[in-house]
Amino acid sequence: MQPILKFNNVSKHYPNGVHALRGVSLDVKQGEFISIIGPSGSGKSTLLRAINRLIPISGGEVLLDGEVISKQRGKSLRRQRRKVGMIFQNYNLVYSLSVVQNVLHGRLGYMSGIKGVFGIYSEEDKQKALDLLKEMGLEQFSYNRASDLSGGQKQRVGIARAIMQEPKLLLCDEPIASLDPSSAKTIMELLHDMTQKRNISCMVNLHQLDVALKYSTRIIGLSKGEVVFDGPPEKLTDEMIEKIYGTSRDNLMIGGNADEKADTADCA
Amino acid sequence: MKKRIPLIAHDLKRLYTAFIITALVLFVVCSFLTEFNVMTLIANSDAFWEFITEDFFPPALPKTSRIPGVLSSVLVTLALAMSSTAIAAVLAFFTALFGSEKVSPFPRFAKVVRGFATFLRNIPALVWAFILFSSLGIGTGVGFVALCITSFAFMVRAFVETMEDVSQDCVESLQAVGATFPQRVSQAILPSCLSGFLSWFLYCVEVNIRASTIVGMVGGGGVGLTLFSYIKSFQYDIAFSIILLIAVMVIAVDQITGKLRKEILK
Ligand SMILES: Nc1ncnc2c1ncn2[C@@H]1O[C@H](COP(=O)(O)OP(=O)(O)OP(=O)(O)O)[C@@H](O)[C@H]1O
Ligand SMILES: [Mg+2]
Repeated sequence: MQPILKFNNVSKHYPNGVHALRGVSLDVKQGEFISIIGPSGSGKSTLLRAINRLIPISGGEVLLDGEVISKQRGKSLRRQRRKVGMIFQNYNLVYSLSVVQNVLHGRLGYMSGIKGVFGIYSEEDKQKALDLLKEMGLEQFSYNRASDLSGGQKQRVGIARAIMQEPKLLLCDEPIASLDPSSAKTIMELLHDMTQKRNISCMVNLHQLDVALKYSTRIIGLSKGEVVFDGPPEKLTDEMIEKIYGTSRDNLMIGGNADEKADTADCA
Repeated sequence: MKKRIPLIAHDLKRLYTAFIITALVLFVVCSFLTEFNVMTLIANSDAFWEFITEDFFPPALPKTSRIPGVLSSVLVTLALAMSSTAIAAVLAFFTALFGSEKVSPFPRFAKVVRGFATFLRNIPALVWAFILFSSLGIGTGVGFVALCITSFAFMVRAFVETMEDVSQDCVESLQAVGATFPQRVSQAILPSCLSGFLSWFLYCVEVNIRASTIVGMVGGGGVGLTLFSYIKSFQYDIAFSIILLIAVMVIAVDQITGKLRKEILK
């Protein structure tokens, strides 16, 4: 089967000289649930944003659905982007609009310029948006302003918007980093179920190793812009973890505390 | 002697001292340069007081036949401020879209747009008025253009900042969805920034009410011109009631826009 996404030796350096990605090559097949892990600054967000070209890459090529998206522009780029749903740490909703309007934004990539500008969606799309909200348990909020929702609810709207796109691939940049543990669990389960049910591939940037191990069919470990691990969660040994994070697994679990102590010591 | 325990950091204390000394020195130097002397003010205070008490007080009403004219000139000033701000706001909105690196489809030109706006803005409305009056002749229309230019430039800057504060995230998400630039503008930027834009617009109306009075004085018409004509003909007591009228107008507008702004930003 043809991979939905293919990275050929992709590199990215930012104008300030930071090499965020170095020679990354990987394939993503339909239905995979991939977690991308790595320390802060290892290039996880850059990797995701290179896929739908929110960030232009500097070398290599990215193929989405068999087409080289890294070279596309204008209309063909937009047609590619609508195949890729994206979920953000800060939800990135338009808070002054209603929940259902936010969900319908997922259809903009399919609409003619003018209809999209004035927000004239088809009855079919509107019905679909309401059904999706029902599936997410948000139907009673459909006509609330998006700003009225809690963090977990906002993220569910974000997921609904992405699913509205009928994407082949879902990108999630730290979807649970701003959420409490119980909302985080709801969101991860939703992401998992929604994508498995619709056979959508999903790539999730995560800081929580345990979450990555629990849900993924595959884990990609990034360190300083390089892929240092790519395989099923069972193969992620303690040595591998140490290689990715540059520190042992035990330090990761209680590392936060140790660091904080060091910090307060510095301040004093 | 026991050392006093300081309440603020040593550096900060030095900074304050330096600041006060600099201010004093500047005052002395500037007074010298401009040949301004506090003594003149005190020595001439009699004449000054006389002018105020004799010529201005008590405020007098203009001839009854003139009153409708005066009132309509107030309306002209209000209309001038409102309409010039409104037109400038619409133009500024479209320009501001190209003035932010994060929003504009041509991020490279964003700096140029902002630089242009800054340039226009740093020339006061009064200067524009004089430039335009000497090239196009006096009239309300020209005053309108002068006010438009400065409020346009001001709002471009303000709108760009509002957009960068508020809508960057949702613009990114709509870009990811595959939305076109006009779609991103109408579905993300406009709804999320509208209250911010309106608040700046109202602020600009406040500023322009004052500015349009002044622009009026030098030839733009409205209550400013009325006031100036009374001053020129030495009818200071009538001029004084017009000044009071202007004050009432400005205060009323400030109150209204202030209330509206609070309402909008809720
Ligand atoms: N717009 C930018 N301009 C310049 N450098 C950038 C930019 N964005 C990211 N970088 C740099 O690129 C590197 C990778 O950043 P990236 O955001 O991809 O890391 P990350 O793995 O997502 O980190 P985090 O877990 O903290 O989100 C970092 O060193 C960062 O400083
Ligand atoms: Mg990141």
